[in-house]
Amino acid sequence: MDVRLNARAAAVFSKVSKRFRVGLGTRSIVALDEVSLSIAWGEVFGLIGPNRAGKTTLVKCLLSICHPTSGRIMRMECSISDRSTLARVGYVHENPAFPRYLNARQVVEGYGRMTGLPRREVRERAEELLHRVGLADRLNERIDNFSKGMLQRLALAQALVNDPRLLVLDEPAEGMDLPARRLLDDVIEERRSAGHTVILVSHALADVRRLCDRIAVLRGGRVAYMGTVAGLAGQDMQENDDSPLESAVEALYAGAQR
Amino acid sequence: MVTDRPIRSTFAWLVVDTFRQARANGILYVLLAISVISIAVCLTVGVSGAESLNIGGDPDDFLPRIDPQVNDTSKLEQSGVVVAGGTLTLGFGAIEVPVARTRSGAVHFLQLLLAGGVADTLGLMLALIWTAGFLPTFLDPRSISVLLAKPAPRWVLLAGKYVGVLLFVLCYAVLFVVGTWLAIGARTGIWTPAYLWAIPLLLLHFSIFFAFSVLLAVATRSTVVCVLGSLVFWVVAWSMNFGRHAFFSATDLAGETLKSPLLAWIVDAGYWILPKPADLGALFYNTLGAGDHFGKLFDAEALAAHGFSMTLSIASSVAFAAVMLIASMRSFGREDY
Repeated sequence: MDVRLNARAAAVFSKVSKRFRVGLGTRSIVALDEVSLSIAWGEVFGLIGPNRAGKTTLVKCLLSICHPTSGRIMRMECSISDRSTLARVGYVHENPAFPRYLNARQVVEGYGRMTGLPRREVRERAEELLHRVGLADRLNERIDNFSKGMLQRLALAQALVNDPRLLVLDEPAEGMDLPARRLLDDVIEERRSAGHTVILVSHALADVRRLCDRIAVLRGGRVAYMGTVAGLAGQDMQENDDSPLESAVEALYAGAQR
Repeated sequence: MVTDRPIRSTFAWLVVDTFRQARANGILYVLLAISVISIAVCLTVGVSGAESLNIGGDPDDFLPRIDPQVNDTSKLEQSGVVVAGGTLTLGFGAIEVPVARTRSGAVHFLQLLLAGGVADTLGLMLALIWTAGFLPTFLDPRSISVLLAKPAPRWVLLAGKYVGVLLFVLCYAVLFVVGTWLAIGARTGIWTPAYLWAIPLLLLHFSIFFAFSVLLAVATRSTVVCVLGSLVFWVVAWSMNFGRHAFFSATDLAGETLKSPLLAWIVDAGYWILPKPADLGALFYNTLGAGDHFGKLFDAEALAAHGFSMTLSIASSVAFAAVMLIASMRSFGREDY
C-alpha cells in the first residue's frame, strides 16, 4: 500500500509492529504487522476492523500505553519518547474506569492537573465540561454509582479538560444514550473546526460514515484499506444508507483486497 | 522533555489520592480507631505507690516486689534494701496492675507494649496487608491506561503511590505514638522522649517491606499475591535473619569451628541479601531501651565476631528496598497495558 508519511502530521506510523508474548513467553501474538499510516491535523480519522484487528493496540502505541516491537511513531510531530506532547492529548478508553472512591469533579480536575494545567484553570474547565456532558447535578457524587453511559460521559469530559489538539476516542459511544451521542458528534465537529485531530476507533459504521474524513480498516494487524469512506463504499453511497459501506467492510473483513 | 509542573501535579495528586483510597477501603478508620482507643486507654492510666529509684538520693539497692526474697521484709529492712512496688492502674483505677519496679519503669513497660506490640506489630501488619491491595487496584489496565497517556513519566506514578502510602503510615505512626506519649505523660508526669523514636523506626520497617509489595504488584497486578506474598516474604526474611544469628551463636556455644563453610556462606549470603526484620526489631529494642523488661533476641556483641553490624544491617535492608523500587519502576516502564 502506498502511504505518504508526513512528518508534519498529528500522528505518523511507519512500519509499526507489535507482538505480545503469551504463555511463558514462548509464543507470541502479532497484534500489528508493519502498519504505516499518517493522520493529518484537523482530520477526523476512523479506525475500524473486526475484533482483535489491532485498532486499540495501534492507538495505545501512539499514546505510549503500549510499546511497539518495531517501527517508528511520531506523535504531534515529535517522537513518542517525548512525553510532553501528551499534555495536549485526550484519550477515552474503550471501557473507562476511574478510582471508584472519587467523585466526578475529582476525576476531571485530578486528571486535568496531570496535564500540567494550573489549578484555577482546570477547576473552571472541569465545571464547564461536567455541565456540558450532563453531569452537573452529580458533580460531588461518588462515581461507583454511575452507569456505563455516565462513565463514558465522564471519560469524555476528562479527555477534553486540557483542550487536546489530538483526541483519541476508543469506542466512545458504547453505552451512551441519544443525547450523549449527539454531544459526542458536536464535540468531534468542534475539534475538527478548531483544526484539531480526532482518531475515532469504532464498530459503529454509521458514526464512521457520518463523522470521519478518512478511515483505515485493520485486519489481522495490517491495514486492509485506507482512504475516504466514499472510496470504500463506492459512489452509489446515499445519505443515511449504510448498506454499501457495510457490504464493503464485510468484504474486507472476509479477506477481500482493495 | 516534560516540564516539572505535570510531574509535580501528578505526584501530589497521587499522594492525596492514596489518602482517599485509604479512607474508601476502611484502613484509615481501622488505624484511627486503634490509635484513638490506645490514646483513650492511656488517658486512664495512673501510677501510684513506688517512687522512682536511682534518681537523686534514692538508694541503689532495691528489690522488685515480685522477688521471692521480698517475703521476708524484716530482714530486708535491716539490710537497708528497699522494696520497690506500686500500682499501675487502667480505667481510672478499675484495673490494677502491680508495678514490679519503679513508676518510670512501669510507664516504660507500657510504652514498649504500645510501640512494639500495638504499633510495630499489629499496626504494621494491618497496614502491610491493607495497603498491599492499593497498587494492584491502581494498576488495573482499565484505569491506569488513561494515566499512562498523561505527560508524567511512568516512574512518577509508582513513586507517587509509594510515597503516598508511606505518608499515610507516617501519619498513623505520629498520631499513635505522639498521642499515647502525650496521654501517658499528662497522666503520670513521666515523659520519655526515646519513645518518639518509634515513629521513624516503624516507618523504616514498613517502607522496606512495602517496597517488596510494590514489585509484586507490578509483576502480578494481583491483590491476593501482594497480600500473601508480602506476609510470607516477611516471615522468610525474619527466619533468614534470626536463623543466621542462631546458626553462628550455636556454633560459638558449641565451641566448634564451622564444619560446613559452604552452609555458612549460604546462610550469610541469604542474610545480607534479604531485609532484616529481626535486626530492625533489635534496633527498636535498643533505641527504646527494652532491655530493662524483655530478654534480647540475640547477642549483638557476640555476633560482631561473625560480621554483624547494626549499621550495615540497616543499610543493606534499605538498599534492598531501593533495589526493589528501581526494579519495579524499570518493569513498570516496559510493561504494556
